[in-house]
Amino acid sequence: MENGAITQGEGKDPSGWLSEIIGHPVTVKLNSGVVYKGELQSVDGYMNIALEKTEEYVNGAKRRSYGDAFVRGNNVMYIAAD
Amino acid sequence: MLFFSFFKTLIDHEVTVELKNDIRIRGVLKSVDQYLNIKLDNIQVVDELKYPHLSAVKNVFIRGSVVRYVHLPSQSVDIDLLEDATRREAANQAVKAK
Amino acid sequence: MADVAEEAPSVSEPLDLVRLLLDEVVFVKLRGDRELKGRLHAYDSHCNLVLGDVEETIYVVEDEENDEEVKTISRKSEMLFVRGDSVVLISPQSRIH
Repeated sequence: MENGAITQGEGKDPSGWLSEIIGHPVTVKLNSGVVYKGELQSVDGYMNIALEKTEEYVNGAKRRSYGDAFVRGNNVMYIAAD
Repeated sequence: MLFFSFFKTLIDHEVTVELKNDIRIRGVLKSVDQYLNIKLDNIQVVDELKYPHLSAVKNVFIRGSVVRYVHLPSQSVDIDLLEDATRREAANQAVKAK
Repeated sequence: MADVAEEAPSVSEPLDLVRLLLDEVVFVKLRGDRELKGRLHAYDSHCNLVLGDVEETIYVVEDEENDEEVKTISRKSEMLFVRGDSVVLISPQSRIH
């Protein structure tokens, strides 16, 4: 920490950033390559994710939409703020 | 603990365990532990022609992690009791998280 | 890890969404191109589930001499325990389009 040459944005850790983007539109990519776009409702320490107004994309093509969706954290590759 | 307790109520009932390699084994549930490892007696492999190598086996111990599904007899599941236990478990988890 | 709830006590956690689906018909996406529809009777923090009146759909790619075709297999089960490590997504069935 002390010898850290890199200072993060406002000194926040990654999960701090996650709580900042709650309520915002996000893109979630899974290890399988499937992508979800929706509004981030909540995240926990396992990276379990709750999304609202979610659209599912398989190979870039829209497959389905979900009103609400719970995604199990172990499948998540990344969460990006749109 | 919820599913450990749940499976204990199903001991001596016939279930079908489907493994992640698609093998399905029907048998009488004899015991279960906290990892949801399962012991089955009097087993029969569903689709035996496809998986003949287990036909001489009478009982198995299945590691919990290789299980995909357990098909259950619905008449031996008390749905109201199970849903109440689930709500209680969820409330306990919420307390632990604080 | 576990202190996420402390940092944001007012924000609900993802599993609360699943809690609200108890005794409702849910759609579950699993690893291995499998999907389930059924009534949610139990779940825990690992996403172990018990579903009633379940319809399972399996998508299989058949390589008919490289003319890849997706076949669907449909199965029913009156009561099904699903091990959580296979679960990818859980959603209320009524709100899927």
